[in-house]
Amino acid sequence: MVIVWGGLGSYRRALGEALVEAGKANRSVVVLDADTPRSTGTLVFAEAFPDRFFNVGISEQDLVGTAAGLAVAGKIPVAAAFAVFLMRAWEQIRNTVARDGLNVKLVGTHSGLSDYMDGSSHQCLEDIALTRVLPGFTVVAPADTVATKKIVLEVVLEHKGPVYVRLGRDNAPKIYDSSEEFPIGGSKTLRDGSDVVVFSYGAMLGVALEAARVLEEKGVSIGVVDVYTLKPLDVDNVIRLARRANLVVTLEDHSVHGGLGSIIAETLAEHAPRKLVRIGVRDRFGASSRSYVELLEYMGLTPDKVASRIMEALRCV
Amino acid sequence: MSPHAGLTDKGLLSELAVITGNARTILEWFLGKIGGWHASSSLSALPIVASLYGYWVPRGVSEGVERFVVLSKGHAAPALYAWLVAVGRLGLEELESFARPWSRLQSHPEASRLEGVVLVSSGSLGQGLSIANGLALAARLDGVRREVAVVLGDGELDEGQVWEAASTATALGLDNVLAVVDRNMAQHTGPTEKVKPKEPLREKWEAFGWIVEEARGDVFSIVHALERLSRMRGRPRVLIVRSSVR
Repeated sequence: MVIVWGGLGSYRRALGEALVEAGKANRSVVVLDADTPRSTGTLVFAEAFPDRFFNVGISEQDLVGTAAGLAVAGKIPVAAAFAVFLMRAWEQIRNTVARDGLNVKLVGTHSGLSDYMDGSSHQCLEDIALTRVLPGFTVVAPADTVATKKIVLEVVLEHKGPVYVRLGRDNAPKIYDSSEEFPIGGSKTLRDGSDVVVFSYGAMLGVALEAARVLEEKGVSIGVVDVYTLKPLDVDNVIRLARRANLVVTLEDHSVHGGLGSIIAETLAEHAPRKLVRIGVRDRFGASSRSYVELLEYMGLTPDKVASRIMEALRCV
Repeated sequence: MSPHAGLTDKGLLSELAVITGNARTILEWFLGKIGGWHASSSLSALPIVASLYGYWVPRGVSEGVERFVVLSKGHAAPALYAWLVAVGRLGLEELESFARPWSRLQSHPEASRLEGVVLVSSGSLGQGLSIANGLALAARLDGVRREVAVVLGDGELDEGQVWEAASTATALGLDNVLAVVDRNMAQHTGPTEKVKPKEPLREKWEAFGWIVEEARGDVFSIVHALERLSRMRGRPRVLIVRSSVR
C-alpha cells in the first residue's frame, strides 16, 4: 500500500476518464456542466461525446432541473459543478430530484479544502450535511483516483436513483490498486487496531493513514476505515470496529456538524456509545492559501496535527 | 371525451368549451369545499389546463407527436384535478380526498402519487421550464418527435431560474419547448405590477430569443393561439395567456 498525503492524484481527471468509459458503455449517459467543464473534468466527455454533453451556462439551478428532465425521459444524467455552487441548487435537488427519486447523478468537485487557492467562497464544507438528509439519496466520497473511477462507474451504470458524489480537485492520495472494488453501501477497513479506530473518507483518508503510521511508531494500535459510502452507512462495520476500540475518531475536510462526525456520533449514540473525537472543520470557513498543505496546516488537519490530537485524546480515555 | 381524443373540427372545439365549463363548475364547487385554496390561480389556469390536455396533447397524438405537460405552477393542482374529473379520469368522490395524507391528489401534484398523469412533481416555483428543457433535449437525442409544454404563473416569473432556463432553451435551440404563462396579473401579495412588475412581458421573452404569442383566457382563444404557434418553429415558443379572473 502506497500512502501519499498532500495530493498527487487528480479526482477530476479520474472523473473525466470514468465518464468517458460510462459514455462508451451506455448511450443513455449524458453529462451536464455549468460552464466549468475544464475545471470539473467533464471536458473529456464533451470532446468524446459532443452530442451528449450540455453546457447550460453559469446556472446551477437550471443545471439540476435540466438533468431532472433528462432523467424523467429515461436518460442517465450526470451533472457536475463545484460542490459549493451545486449546493446553490439544494432546493431543486430536494424538491425535484429527491422527491421524485430521479436517476440523477450529481458530482460536486472542488469539495472540502481542495480548492485552496480560491478561498472560503469556493471551499465546500457542508455538502455531505446537505445531501445526506435527503430521503432516498446515496452519498459517496471516493478517497483516491482508483476509487473515483470505480465508484463513478458503479453509480452511473449500475445504481438506480439519486446520488451525490463528493470529489476534491487535484489532492487525491494514492491508496488503492486497480483491483479494488467499492460496492455501494460498503466501507473498507484499511488497518486494524485496538486502541483507536479512525473513520475517514475522501482526501483526508490519506492524512488518516499517515497519522496512523506516526502513532503506530509511538506504540499506538490504530485502525483506519474508509467510509466511502456516507449514506447508506455501513452500520454493522462501524459498530463492530467501534466496540473493539477505546477511542473513536472521525476525520474529514467538512464541517464536523452534519458530516461524518455527526454520522458516527449518531450511530454510536444509538448502538455503541464510545468516547468520540471529531476532527474536521468546526463551525468556521476555510481560507485562501498558496498551497494545499499550507491550508491543511492552517486548519489543523496535517498528519502531525491529527496525530497529536489523537494522542492527547488517548491520554484522557 | 377522453383527454386523448382528437379535436379536429369546430364541433369538437365547442365540446371542449362545454367540458371546460363543466370543469369550472366542479372547480368552483370544490374550491368552496377547500376554503378557496389558491382559488384565483386555479380558476385562471383552468382554460390553459383544458386547452393543453383537451386539445394540444390529443392533437399531438393524431399527428404522431408525443406531447407532455409540466404544471410548473403546482398550486393550480385543483384546476388539473377538476379537469380530470370533468373528462372522467377521476371520480368526484376521489376529489373529496384532496390534500389528505393518503390521497393521490396532493395539494401540489406529485408524480409518484399520480403516475401517468403527473410527469414530475411541482410545488416549488420556477423549476418547470428547466425540467421541460431536459425532456425536450432527451427527445432530440432519441430522435423522438416530442413537444413539452410548461405552465408558468406570472408571479412565478420572479424566480431567476425561469430566466436561466429561458436562456438555456434558446442556447440549445429547443424549439420543441412551449411555455404557457398564466398572466392573471396577481401574485401572493397583490397585483403583479405592484409587487414586482412583469411588463413589458412580451418584449422580455422576445429579448430572450423566444417566439411570443398571446391569447385571452378562454379555450377558443388559447386553442387558436396554440394552432398558430404549432406552425412556428426554429426557436422556443411562449404563449402569454391574458387571463381574466373574477
